Amino acid sequence: MKTIILNIWRNKEFFFIPLLVFAVSCQKIVSIDLNAAAPHIVIEGNLTDQLDTASVVISKTGTYFVSSVNVPPVSHALVTITDDLGNSDTLKEIRSGNYQSATLKGVTGRRYTLKVVSESEVYSAISYMPKKVTIDSLYVKPVHERDGDIGYDIYVLFKDPQESGNYYRIRPRVNSLPPDSIQGARTFLYNDKLANGNEITERISIRIRSGERRTVNIGDTITVDLLSVDQATYEFYKTLQAIRSSDRSPTSLSPANPNTNLSNGSLGYFAAYSVDSKKIILQ
Amino acid sequence: MKINKLGFLLLILSMIIPQRHSVAADKFTISGIIKNKENGEALIGAIISTKGVKPIGAVSNAYGFYSLTLLEGTYIVQAQFLGYKTQMDTILVDRNQKMNIELTPEPIKVREVVITGERTNINVSSTEMSASKLQIHDLQSIPVLLGEKDILKTIQLLPGIKSAGEGNTGFYARGGRTDQNLIVLDEAPVYNSSHALGFLSVFNSDAIKDVTVITGGIPAEYGGRLSSVLDIKTDDGNMKEFGMKGGIGLISSRLTVQGPIVKDEGSFIVSMRRTYADVFLKLSSDTTINKTSIYFYDLNMKANYALGEKDRVFLSGYFGRDNFNYPNVFGFNWGNATATARWNHIYGDKFFANTSFIYSNYEYTNTLGTGTSQFTINSGIQDINGKMDFEYFMNSENTLLFGLNSIYHTFIPGTLTSASSSPSNAQSVEHKYALENAAYLSHEIEVGTGLKINYGLRLAAFTQLGPGTAYTYDVNGDVIDSTVHSSGKNIKTFTSLEPRISANISVDEESSIKVSFTRTAQFLHLLSNSTTTNPSDLWVPSSNNVKPQYADQIALGYFRNFEENEFETSVELYYKNMQNIIDYKNGADLQLNPNVESLLSYGKGWSYGVEFLVKKRFGQFTGWVGYTWSKTEEQFDKINNGNPFPARQDRTHDISIVAMYDYDSQWKFSATWVYYTGNAVTFPSGNYFIDGRLVPYYTERNGYRMPAYHRLDLSATYSFSEKSNLNFSIYNAYDRWNPYSIAFRQNINDPTKTEAVQTTIFPIIPSLTYNFNF
Repeated sequence: MKTIILNIWRNKEFFFIPLLVFAVSCQKIVSIDLNAAAPHIVIEGNLTDQLDTASVVISKTGTYFVSSVNVPPVSHALVTITDDLGNSDTLKEIRSGNYQSATLKGVTGRRYTLKVVSESEVYSAISYMPKKVTIDSLYVKPVHERDGDIGYDIYVLFKDPQESGNYYRIRPRVNSLPPDSIQGARTFLYNDKLANGNEITERISIRIRSGERRTVNIGDTITVDLLSVDQATYEFYKTLQAIRSSDRSPTSLSPANPNTNLSNGSLGYFAAYSVDSKKIILQ
Repeated sequence: MKINKLGFLLLILSMIIPQRHSVAADKFTISGIIKNKENGEALIGAIISTKGVKPIGAVSNAYGFYSLTLLEGTYIVQAQFLGYKTQMDTILVDRNQKMNIELTPEPIKVREVVITGERTNINVSSTEMSASKLQIHDLQSIPVLLGEKDILKTIQLLPGIKSAGEGNTGFYARGGRTDQNLIVLDEAPVYNSSHALGFLSVFNSDAIKDVTVITGGIPAEYGGRLSSVLDIKTDDGNMKEFGMKGGIGLISSRLTVQGPIVKDEGSFIVSMRRTYADVFLKLSSDTTINKTSIYFYDLNMKANYALGEKDRVFLSGYFGRDNFNYPNVFGFNWGNATATARWNHIYGDKFFANTSFIYSNYEYTNTLGTGTSQFTINSGIQDINGKMDFEYFMNSENTLLFGLNSIYHTFIPGTLTSASSSPSNAQSVEHKYALENAAYLSHEIEVGTGLKINYGLRLAAFTQLGPGTAYTYDVNGDVIDSTVHSSGKNIKTFTSLEPRISANISVDEESSIKVSFTRTAQFLHLLSNSTTTNPSDLWVPSSNNVKPQYADQIALGYFRNFEENEFETSVELYYKNMQNIIDYKNGADLQLNPNVESLLSYGKGWSYGVEFLVKKRFGQFTGWVGYTWSKTEEQFDKINNGNPFPARQDRTHDISIVAMYDYDSQWKFSATWVYYTGNAVTFPSGNYFIDGRLVPYYTERNGYRMPAYHRLDLSATYSFSEKSNLNFSIYNAYDRWNPYSIAFRQNINDPTKTEAVQTTIFPIIPSLTYNFNF
């Protein structure tokens, strides 16, 4: 059996060790005048192989530096998801800008087309739902961070299929909180470019913070979702990661909006993916 | 086709060369080598001229050789070089004769206002423009970060050359990108000129003899990069006696040993430098940190030996390496190795030839994982390079330069190796091969009095060679076809014909107008995921998918000296147009990717500006003030809706002030102040939510500016004797927090709010260096 720990390469902070050695860097908050761009449509489409809800959230961009309140939802859009066999579902707007279908469940190996008609513009995207890859096991190792925080490394073991071109997103959840709610957690992405067909051990790190910023506690249940995504979804998250401040290196190139599979200039993504989940209790 | 053009050129050469036999009967040539009397080092760019109403002169070449053709008669001939005593001899020219000249270095005397030595107006009278020769004295006096003398930082103080970032050795020449600079060390191209991720250059200043940087009017003998030439020549070693010099600095120590092999016939020099930051890491109680190794070293070696009067051979080598290992996590090491073997031969009195064989290698290795799961990724570029250069000093009005160059490149885009127990699969991106050939000819002619023209032509041919697979891609970057080529197969050839012209119109003894036109081509392109120089940056050759880059530049300058050439001033205007500059797809994965070529897109760029320089060359107080106003834009179909945008290297204003003051024989002071407009950067103009987290929304590329950068550096050197000194310097003396980056992040207490955080990497930094010379 072969195992591998691969995410080190992507931990950009290691590149800054030389900087720390050579210099004492300092930071300050500065005020910068930013232009207010005209509001632009953002579509987030998710379809899984589970009978949780297929969901499409449509909104418009807001002004930078102003709190989230001004990111306006887009209502009265016509939202449909069609598979390559011609089955079509229309999603209902259950909350402002939030379109769902309780009956739509994706099937792996199918290609899905999302179509959104809003304000007489048409946006569409195609996403392929890859075969499900299951998590074999999880284990946890505590890590003492240098700043005094305690962290947990969660190791996710799974077997990459023989065919190449598998892309994954690994998503931790705490207790019953929604996914992506762990503050400061990175977007964990993996592809099989270097280790196609092998047993994979991918490490994800979650920090326990002291005081008010505590994000996880001993006794919490951590659920890890292994999302098998297509290449376009992987690239969306990879390019998203490149501009997210928590993941960004100060020397990275001119930032750009993430690569999207949506047409007509829309921001966001439409991702069809299969999900496998496993739970572990922090001890 | 290519061979025919080369053959044609050689034919022209063979028609010109025989002219040397038709020298008029009453003209004779004196020739020889100009050297430093104390150590026998050949002096580059020393001037030998006759005294009189209409002086006739010549300049020594890269090996100290000069050739001066005069009418029969008696002359007072003087040899001059800045920092050396001018030497005068009365000679009778009645036959061709050898005359080697040795000049004595002149110590800078206390309170002596006028230093004799080169007081010529060569900057006014030559056809060379947009070029600077750095004096080693300047290099040694100018304060630098952490006390590490660094030519790549010092040249950034010249107009037209701009720093690629705080403390960075990368530079932009007249709106060009950092990979558009041809950096040659003893004729060997250096592919990664930085240590420590760009903060220090690989050039150990103890071993350097001469530095020339050219940003416009690039002579025909240089080619292969669009924007500039940085030609670095190392010391030959002391011909007279053994010596040792060195220094102990905050982060590195240096030691140079040199001496004669046979007195006045051959010498050697070995120069070493190593950092020791890792020694301090060992003191850490943290078991990970104290096992971390982080260091680099450089080793320069050179030997030369004269085989009689007409021949000299040189062997030189450079070897440098960075090591950066973080135990059980990763190891990263990279470095350059170059070797040059040269043979100088003098045919008769007027014809100087040099033949070089050069090897260059840049390589990096990245080790990841631990124990049985360890694997390494290796990447690099390797050159085998042959070069022949001829200089024909026909007479005092005509000089002819011509030569041939052929480089065989091997590109190693990436190879992953792992033990059989390792989980990662061994894999390799196919090596790529290319042959880069060039032939050039240039002729400098003095047309009567007052007009000097240097015109030349460079013919370059770049051939992508097999073995290898040539892919064809569709518009989406997917492979639609591939052809496997056998070894040595010509897959794709590009040729470029590059005219290089510069002219000097003399206004009077102290002023002139110069114009130049330069066309350059670049066949190798550096792809980088970062704004700084990274060891993992990837060089890719032009190929069936990758177009060569081209640039055309015109420059116009007015040069004027004052106070008997004590002050040099110049104004230069330039316009540069660049084609096929490269950008690549957002999120492009450059590592171990066989289809990197499919991720590239091509655009155009242009840059124009005006550069002012006032320089004081002699006296206790020396230095210069440079100011550049410029504009650089780029345009790509798929970026910024196809509209032009300011390039990252666009700097509206750029000011450098350099002042050096020799107070007495013990104390020397210097100061530099730099100011430049902040980089053009992309900031968000809105935001939105993805998965419940805020994401910045970008509209225009490089639509914003970083705050302006400015900094004062100070330095004081105290000499205990001629043999040792102590240098104290302060980098960023008024502790300006210049922005290295501005990042936007969610406020930690209120995640719905976003704030801009500016990072400064070098606040005020003092340093101390001890230098010795035995």
